[in-house]
Amino acid sequence: MAMGQLRRGVAEYCVLALLKAGEGYGFDLARTLSETGIIASEGTIYPLLSRLRREGMVTTVWRESELGPKRRYYLLTDPGQRVLQQFIITWESFRDTVDGILHNEGHS
Amino acid sequence: MQSSKADQLVQDYLRRVKLALTNISASRRDDIMEGLIQHITEARSRFSTDDEAEVRTLLDHLGSPDEIAEAAGVHRRPSKMDLWVPWLLLLGAFVFWLGWIAGVVMLWSSRTWRLKDKLLGTLIWPGGLLFPVIIGAMPIVSSSSSCQGNSSSVHCSSPPGVLPKPFGIIIGVVALLAPILTAIHLNRVRRRQDAV
Repeated sequence: MAMGQLRRGVAEYCVLALLKAGEGYGFDLARTLSETGIIASEGTIYPLLSRLRREGMVTTVWRESELGPKRRYYLLTDPGQRVLQQFIITWESFRDTVDGILHNEGHS
Repeated sequence: MQSSKADQLVQDYLRRVKLALTNISASRRDDIMEGLIQHITEARSRFSTDDEAEVRTLLDHLGSPDEIAEAAGVHRRPSKMDLWVPWLLLLGAFVFWLGWIAGVVMLWSSRTWRLKDKLLGTLIWPGGLLFPVIIGAMPIVSSSSSCQGNSSSVHCSSPPGVLPKPFGIIIGVVALLAPILTAIHLNRVRRRQDAV
């Protein structure tokens, strides 16, 4: 349960991080996050992407596809970029703190 | 034939997701549904056969409608009727059992409680406080036990089928407390769900 909450908490930042490299397709984002265990079910990425879009963290663009109907691609916005940057700083500090506690516990 | 069954599965899944997302705004719901439809279309275009089994696996990977609704911030708000369930289970049997039966039906049809809570609410005790009230009559009966003897020693014996007084009291207290504690537990679970 606790691990599920931790994963849910970081999932949105992982989406932003994946989009940092370039625009992303919902299907690919869902597969990547599901395969890495960040999200438990692929479908839960869509409520997350919808929220990020409403909050202005990402924006979308429709592109033609050779394989079928138009695809909606997600792009990181400037506010999204800033939120991601802030998260990276917080996460690194958080990770170091937790690592320190875990290692101390191992030696005591 | 196979593909029509697969289409049917997809339509049914999307209908259930849409239903689970009833409590969010139409624009958000459409946004999420659009994403899911694209995902399904994309996945099916990559299938070798697009048969029922492949579609079932795809839908399993997408997650249940409840999971998607939860990710959208839709929490299963306990029904207002759930408020009455612990009380009906506790006291409903005093109204010709009808209240208790209604409580059990409401308990099992509610999504607020898990299976173990439902079993607990039903089995401890059928009839709620009515059962300990009946049990409570036993120590009173035991007080009518016959005593014989002289001034130096008195020997009391209970009639057959009547519990000795200390056991009667213990059983009575346990029987009385168990449904009360069960009702408190059910109420706590309901309030916890409400607070989510």
